[in-house]
Amino acid sequence: MNVRRRHLSQLTGTLCAAGLLVASTSGVLAADTPAYPVKTVTLITHSSPGGGSDLFLRQMIKYLGPQMGVTFVVKNVRGGGGAKALAELAKLPPDGSAFYATTDTCIQTPMFGKVEYTIHDLEPVVNVFEDPEVIYTRKDSPLKSLKDVMAAAKKDPKNAKWGGGTATELGRQVLERLKEIVGVDLPIVSFEGGGDAMMAVLNGSMDIAVGEPGEVSAQLEAGKIRLLAAFTEQRLATYPDVPTAKEQGVDLVLTKFRGLTGPKGLPTDVVKAWEEAIPKLLANPEYKKAYDEDSLIPAFKDQKAFQAYLAKTEVDLKTYLTKMGVIK
Amino acid sequence: MEQIFSIIFDVMTGTPALIGAAIGITWGIIGGALPGISPSISMALILPLTYTMQPVVGIITLAAVYCGAEYGGSIPAILISTPGTNAAGATVIDGYQMQLKGRGGEALGISLVSGVIGGLVGLVLLVTLTGWLADAALLFRPASYFAIGILGLSVIASLSEGSLVKGLISGILGLMIATVGNDPISGVNRFTFGSVDLICGFGPILIMVGLFAVSELFKESGQASWPKAQAATKIKLPSFTLWRKRLAIPHLIGVIVGTIEGIVPGAGGTVAAFISRNEAKRWSRHKEEFDHGSVEGVAAPECSNNVVTSTSLIPLLSFGIPGSNSSAILLGGMLLHGLRPGPMIFVQNPEVVYGLYGGLFFANLFLLVIGLVSVRGALWLVNRPKPYVLAVVYVLIFSGAYSLNHSLFEPTVVLIMGVVGYLLRYIGLSPLPMVLGVVLGFMVETNFRRSLQISQGDYGIFLGDPVSIILLTLSFVFVSVSIYRMVHESRKQA
Repeated sequence: MNVRRRHLSQLTGTLCAAGLLVASTSGVLAADTPAYPVKTVTLITHSSPGGGSDLFLRQMIKYLGPQMGVTFVVKNVRGGGGAKALAELAKLPPDGSAFYATTDTCIQTPMFGKVEYTIHDLEPVVNVFEDPEVIYTRKDSPLKSLKDVMAAAKKDPKNAKWGGGTATELGRQVLERLKEIVGVDLPIVSFEGGGDAMMAVLNGSMDIAVGEPGEVSAQLEAGKIRLLAAFTEQRLATYPDVPTAKEQGVDLVLTKFRGLTGPKGLPTDVVKAWEEAIPKLLANPEYKKAYDEDSLIPAFKDQKAFQAYLAKTEVDLKTYLTKMGVIK
Repeated sequence: MEQIFSIIFDVMTGTPALIGAAIGITWGIIGGALPGISPSISMALILPLTYTMQPVVGIITLAAVYCGAEYGGSIPAILISTPGTNAAGATVIDGYQMQLKGRGGEALGISLVSGVIGGLVGLVLLVTLTGWLADAALLFRPASYFAIGILGLSVIASLSEGSLVKGLISGILGLMIATVGNDPISGVNRFTFGSVDLICGFGPILIMVGLFAVSELFKESGQASWPKAQAATKIKLPSFTLWRKRLAIPHLIGVIVGTIEGIVPGAGGTVAAFISRNEAKRWSRHKEEFDHGSVEGVAAPECSNNVVTSTSLIPLLSFGIPGSNSSAILLGGMLLHGLRPGPMIFVQNPEVVYGLYGGLFFANLFLLVIGLVSVRGALWLVNRPKPYVLAVVYVLIFSGAYSLNHSLFEPTVVLIMGVVGYLLRYIGLSPLPMVLGVVLGFMVETNFRRSLQISQGDYGIFLGDPVSIILLTLSFVFVSVSIYRMVHESRKQA
């Protein structure tokens, strides 16, 4: 039995090698790209089907599957603020067959409660995207730029109507930082989600709000709202006319990240395969069209850079949440 | 107009949209009937299957699941006192009493017809008034949401027969439960004791299944056999006379409440079901029948939650803002197909919008047919010998709760709430105000605090908002009348 199995594997090995040879001579596959060690890769997300990370993964595998020659499966493991998904992955073998679509959520969760596993029990692999935040107002509002917003707030902080999410949400962080920059104390009203804040801006309960481009695109196209600034390094591909906060003299860049982490102890060839695959994927013109439309900013980071980024994000987040009085 | 019909005709004949609608309704009824599997979860489970479909077919399938599930939840609610969905929690009260009196088949018939009527009327509103209703939704500010919640809570005064104090105790327990979890305004975690499971708070469905179903099981387990053989084992559709005399007004209330809750984001079918049942009781000429098997108490919530399945599409399509958890899943499905709901979708993808209208129409017709067929099976099942039924229901409830997140947290909550419900019955407290507190607490609290954030602590904001002042005045009148009646009656007795 054992002998036969060994023979079989040798046989498939030879076949693979032969296949590679044929492929490389025909120029389809670059000779320096070895085949990915496993055939099927599970990508775990804590988001439910149709949610942010789920959409990200499902869009990505349409293009990444053929490129890497791997069958990707998306698995939704909901609950516990990402803790369940994280725990499931941490227990899997580090052979490159499973990864977790990592966002700020799973860095936050351990700050709020006891969890079995944290991000430190995982191994960062690559970062893929950043999610931008934009500030918007009603079409008929007198506010025309970020400077106007800040000037109006400085002049009459009592009547500044700023709408943001709950304290843990990134759009709220943007507003809190902006408030610091203006240097006045003004109330920021908490809304549960981007939709609620949008309604409040549309009906005049709020003057401005901060949200993700995906949440505002429909109203923008319909001409009901106006974007004032994007809190990114560069202008968004979808809205090239909208200046960044930096351009308007406000040094404020805050984004969410979307990356992949795996179980601890991943072999170097697996990490390398991803480090090579992601830049290539992001350059794919068809995929670029799709992710540009979703206002995702390509932000590839290799393992080293991603690890450093995660560590910094954790410290920043802890400082911010402590200041907000959310955690001790 | 002609063009719209030709688009609908093309979608219905040129694509497998009708098959999608039929599959959606069938799966929806099953998912809705399983305790713990809410309409949004039923939709999420089938969502991956829609990826490969044509966009319009996928969206119709998902919307049909939503319709089917809102109805399906009432089947176990009526037959075994187990709300299959959050919204069906309001149906349990009178539906199960009807079943105990041997009128289960009739209750199921009323629920089905009310659901179909609600779905179709909601659809007519969606098709004809989308633009107008979308503008009306903008009238609702945080202060107005607060007032809706207060109006819902004001009914506790009339709910608690006999003792207002007992009703208030039960209601406050519910409000207390609603505060557990991440504070939506400050982001601080409250009463979570370091448990990650508690960050999101207690799901209303777990509370309701525990209070209504598990406590009923405990009670039943202690009794020898069914009180009597179930006379009606067949579904019985309401006659036109019954509809005209008893159901028309609850349906009207269901439509009005369902429309408001549908277009106002964040409220959803559960709040609609409870508030419309309350209002149906308030305006009924047969108040005494409520809580003891009132046909109106089944008709109003079942109508309104199906109205919401259509009207929650209004903010979704016109603003791109989901009005409920279920329409959030629908939004996800649309995004996956590259559709961006919002004012422009009517211009850019008319085939999807009008195809969806057509698909929903047929979905509601299928609901009637498939509903009739599936109820027969359910009625047969529930009339098997009691020990078998009880054992199966226990398994169904706890496996349903477990399947939510594949963890023991949810079944534990259900079990604890079951014990609490049993104790409440024992000391003569009605669990209903408690459930109202759980359902409405979050909405009342967050919008109260949000309004004060806006006004910077000035309570005048609640009187400055036109929607809020109307609803608050109504609540005040209702509470005063109940208190007056109570005092008056106790004097008479003395």
